[in-house]
Amino acid sequence: MNNGRTSTILYVCIILLTAFLAALPWLLVSYALVWFFLFAVYLTLAVSYDIVGGYMGYMNLGHSTFFGLGAYSTAILLNHGLGLAPSLGVAVLVAAAFALLVGYPLFRLRGAYFSLATFGLISLMGILSNNLRDLTGGSGGISTPSGDHSVAAYYFSLILAAGTIVLSHRLARSKFGLALFSIREDEEVARAFGIPTTLYKCVALLVSSVPASLIGGIYVWNMTYISPSSVFGLEIALSPIVMAMLGGTGTIIGPVVGVAFLTALQELLWTKIPYLHLTMYGITMVLVGLFMPGGLVRISWVRSLVSRLGLAEQIDYFKAT
Amino acid sequence: MAIDLIQLLVGGLLLGGIYGLAAFGLSISFGVLNVLNLAHGEFLMLGSLASYAAFVGLGVNPFLSAVLIIPPFVLIGVGFYSLLLKPISEKPPHQLLVASILVTLGSSLAIEDLTSFFWDRPVTGIPYSLPAIEFSGIVVSSLRLLILLFICALAVSLQIYLKKTFLGRAIRAVTQCRDGAKVVGIPISHVSALTFGLGVALAASAGVFYVTLFTVTPTMGIPLTVKYLCVVVLGGLGSLVGSVVGGIILGLAEALTAYYLGAEWSHCIAFVLLIAILIIKPEGLFGTR
Amino acid sequence: MSNLLECRNVCKSFGGLQALAKIDLRVSRGEILGIIGPNGAGKTTLFNIISGALSPTKGSVVFNGQEISKLRANRICRLGVARTYQLVRPFSSLSALENVLVGICFGRPDAPSREKRVKEALAILTFVGLGAKANQAAEDLTLVEKKHLEIARALATNPQLVLLDEVVSGLTPTETSHLVNTIRGIQQRGVTIIMIEHVLKVVMELCQRVVVLNYGLQIANGLPTEVIKNPEVIEAYLGAESLNEDEPSA
Repeated sequence: MNNGRTSTILYVCIILLTAFLAALPWLLVSYALVWFFLFAVYLTLAVSYDIVGGYMGYMNLGHSTFFGLGAYSTAILLNHGLGLAPSLGVAVLVAAAFALLVGYPLFRLRGAYFSLATFGLISLMGILSNNLRDLTGGSGGISTPSGDHSVAAYYFSLILAAGTIVLSHRLARSKFGLALFSIREDEEVARAFGIPTTLYKCVALLVSSVPASLIGGIYVWNMTYISPSSVFGLEIALSPIVMAMLGGTGTIIGPVVGVAFLTALQELLWTKIPYLHLTMYGITMVLVGLFMPGGLVRISWVRSLVSRLGLAEQIDYFKAT
Repeated sequence: MAIDLIQLLVGGLLLGGIYGLAAFGLSISFGVLNVLNLAHGEFLMLGSLASYAAFVGLGVNPFLSAVLIIPPFVLIGVGFYSLLLKPISEKPPHQLLVASILVTLGSSLAIEDLTSFFWDRPVTGIPYSLPAIEFSGIVVSSLRLLILLFICALAVSLQIYLKKTFLGRAIRAVTQCRDGAKVVGIPISHVSALTFGLGVALAASAGVFYVTLFTVTPTMGIPLTVKYLCVVVLGGLGSLVGSVVGGIILGLAEALTAYYLGAEWSHCIAFVLLIAILIIKPEGLFGTR
Repeated sequence: MSNLLECRNVCKSFGGLQALAKIDLRVSRGEILGIIGPNGAGKTTLFNIISGALSPTKGSVVFNGQEISKLRANRICRLGVARTYQLVRPFSSLSALENVLVGICFGRPDAPSREKRVKEALAILTFVGLGAKANQAAEDLTLVEKKHLEIARALATNPQLVLLDEVVSGLTPTETSHLVNTIRGIQQRGVTIIMIEHVLKVVMELCQRVVVLNYGLQIANGLPTEVIKNPEVIEAYLGAESLNEDEPSA
């Protein structure tokens, strides 16, 4: 598919980028470190969202519930004196169990119904985290033991983001990925050709919950404070999805492009306009929906560039745009 | 205690009627457009605020505004459709799904955020009251009774409208078979625009009743849309009776939850009901979906 | 007993509508059975029941001595029943190769190794004449090619029984004869075939036996030449007048 030279250039770029990112803590002030940390958080969420939303075609608007669950579980366990690794481990299990629990009934819904119901999960979790005061500290939020973890968290988050991209890439080329694509194309036919669709849908949701809950745990470890509105709010729920959509769902490169594009845009705009952020997200969503539901990577010239680099897997999903 | 419960159940019944009316609006526009309007809840909120403003500013009686609000909101709905939904309506199914979710959810966010920007404090009900009436020992608020009657009247006239008029028949035809309706010469995009407008107006009209009884906040739109989903799944798509019954079940469930567990839990119950229905009877209470 | 498939007293109703009533069907190994009947006779419903997309209201379906009417479609596929669709339903944005790979990876009890899979998928595509189009997205294929792709996807599951739902309809005579050859090739692989078909010429050419359905009832069963002379069949299916038309507009 791709010729040797372009892929060599690609690998060199990746290596240079990795070296730059690895050296960053010695080069930059802590503000930039936080910025890159948040970048990695969004990247992890957007790429893991895309496993269900893009590959399988089920728009899971409640993906951030895994993030929030991971964050809350980790925070609670850290406060009980557990170390980071076991806390994260339990957090992943909690999110995975939740994925199976809600996945089974919700996957009986399709299309927009599924999206709306999963979106409802966010308000459900918001209510739960507000009401279960003994566990979560209610609307006041929860603080974890303080300490400067910013450099370690930065590395962790980058590794996790990279790991999620690799996972997504592997999935796209695996048997399991093929099953997800065929479920997206035509679920009934997929079942008629031997795919146990209900099981696979639940497993896909479970897989996508793992990176999201891990990054949630690392998030609270680094930030040392979360509240219902910070992890179950609309901004954290929708921005990774908007990013994935803006870049182009169902591809590996799409969410990466979208996250880079939108975080850069935020950096330029958000600091100048301190209010109406959700409105701007909303307008972005409307514009993407109206003019390029296939995302940036499917604009023709980007598309040809991307396919020359050999990154165009599954790009044909949105043929007509 | 028992009186409290009865009061609460009456409240639940009313809330249910309001939900049912608004949810029916969602369900007919989904039937015709094949687009689930995630901004539907916002229109109830906007209807509430508009009638509140009309009452406080101009002293318009809420029952009057429940009717007066319909034409402007039909126009708003038609405008929303023509500007945002018509351009994507001819896309292939999976693109339509993605695009419609982005467009309606994006609008929902923008509406919510802009409203809370300009209207920063919640509206706690229209200060409108009527003398209470006593009914064999039980005191019933005549305002609530009147609202109940009004919702019933609105539902009945809507049902007649859908059965007898051209638009009503066209709505049912397009819902059943889009291509067939096109073939017999029903102008799909006009019908879609009007249906969407009607759906929006129903939500806004329901919002007028909502604000006379309950507190309205700018951020209530999205959770409300989820409640409509619960009602539609309960009652089945496109059936007015189903929507009203589904709405009443939800309203009563919320009232009971608030009574026994506390008001802070009542907003969870829609979701719990939804999950329960999906596990026990995925085709909805009234079978056909 | 050499029957590969047996439907016993299969009934299916949708609400008040009786779509199939007391269908008894025996299909022996290696046979090509034709199912004909006017539109709405319940032919596709029967396929949906055999392949597990629907479950019968009453009656049983026995495949290879095993009761399958309660099984899910994915299990039935792995047991060796594959199908095509009347209105083609390939996985549109996947390539032809990937479409076939789905059948190979999931439609068999055990999937072959990665290299073998691709090799086998290419072989199957070549068999149906799509070898050169392996990397093309399914939605970019022509109708005939999509129909061949559906057959390829069905064959990829290593089926013992293939259900072909009106594969010939809408094709030109040349395309039809090409497809008829393909179907013969399938039979030569030892695969049993049930085909729903409106094009009588194809039915006469390929089928050893024909079953006629009308309003959910089985009204005839026998040799093709005999069945089309059956007055009840002529009345129900062809209308009162003629036997000469190849494609009656039912």
